[in-house]
Amino acid sequence: MRLRTLAGFAATAALAAAPRIALAAPASHASALPWWAWPLILFATTFLMGIVAVVGGIGGGVLFVPIVGGFFPFHLDFVRGAGLLLALSGALAAGPGLLRSGLASLRLAMPLALAGSVGGILGALVGLALPTRVVQVALGITVLLIAALMWFTRSSGSDVRHAADRWAIAMGLHGSFHDPAVGHGVDWSVHRTHHGLAAFFGIGIVGGLFGLGAGWANVPALNLLMGVPLKLAVGTSGLAISIINTSAAWVYMNKGALLPIIIVPSILGVMLGARVGVRVLKAIKASTARNVVIVVLVAAGIRSLVQGLVS
Amino acid sequence: MPLSTPSRRNEQEVYARWLAWGVRLGFGALVATFFLYVTGLVPPGIAPERLPQLWGLPVDQYIAATGAPTGWSWVARLREGDLLNLVGVAILASASIACHLRVLPLFVASRERVFAAICVAQVVVLVAAAAGVF
Repeated sequence: MRLRTLAGFAATAALAAAPRIALAAPASHASALPWWAWPLILFATTFLMGIVAVVGGIGGGVLFVPIVGGFFPFHLDFVRGAGLLLALSGALAAGPGLLRSGLASLRLAMPLALAGSVGGILGALVGLALPTRVVQVALGITVLLIAALMWFTRSSGSDVRHAADRWAIAMGLHGSFHDPAVGHGVDWSVHRTHHGLAAFFGIGIVGGLFGLGAGWANVPALNLLMGVPLKLAVGTSGLAISIINTSAAWVYMNKGALLPIIIVPSILGVMLGARVGVRVLKAIKASTARNVVIVVLVAAGIRSLVQGLVS
Repeated sequence: MPLSTPSRRNEQEVYARWLAWGVRLGFGALVATFFLYVTGLVPPGIAPERLPQLWGLPVDQYIAATGAPTGWSWVARLREGDLLNLVGVAILASASIACHLRVLPLFVASRERVFAAICVAQVVVLVAAAAGVF
């Protein structure tokens, strides 16, 4: 127990300390450090994010934009573009395994991803058109809401099977998957399909607007709103992100808002961190890690809010 | 029809196989081109030393200051190391389009009109986003 608590404190301190190095040299004084120092600091920070994201059961994208946007000298336009790519890369990398294991349903993801893609494009266009300070304030509020959502849904989750609605029956949104944890197949079906489609459209807008991965919203929408078993909801959310973020990523790319010097170290950092995170997961309590994530999100959300209000 | 029936297994398997190849190709290209960029083996259009004065600008001011490309004009400038990285990004962002195109005939063959239509609509949305329609 003591080891777990110490590990939790260590993760919080490390994640908080890395961007503080960057904070020492804000945008106007960025030249105080050589150019190559920034990708290295970014790599180290995203490496820690990858660990915390896996242990906390969230995607790295939701941590990336508020932390890097708040504490690094890069403009929020480029940070949001990188955040989208980061979430997209993680979802794409996990996609084949999730599909093969049956822990993601292609049929369930397809209609939701279509609604999310349209929303993602809309969000990306709005985000790139709005003044930075407006986006920063909205991002701060959104991140604080995400932290609140994570706090209030930390012990919730429903695996109660509901009768399929008309839309779900028409689209064949039902089936079964093998859950290795229980050792047998789990039947699933979907209800409130139209609400789910509307939710994914809205989540797509938020994702495209702020460059956030959307697992924090997709999973509750699938599980609590549509009645999808939690494990299938997590897997299908990842698959949906791999499609939804593609649409918004193209918008950012076409607008010239993707900087390789930010994108590549971030993707590599999070991916390597995630591998280490899988090992750390065995030594640390998931609830401790989730609390670390909530604390970091609150700090980053407040900073984004303050930055937007005082700029 | 449960998920474990042959038809559903098949489309998931095919989608997963194509996605796995797209991801391998995309990540491979991303890492290789970034190596060429940061080592200077392929000279960048914008010197990395200039970046700390530029990356704090909003994207429209950054483009005005550097002449960085928008849309697909980067393809004509692939000799610039920084823009070469966009090849990997484009492959990753095209993977889902290729996967949808690959499973579309499977839905058509099994006469699943709703999913065939969703597939077509998804491809149209993603291609339009890629083409810069929006």
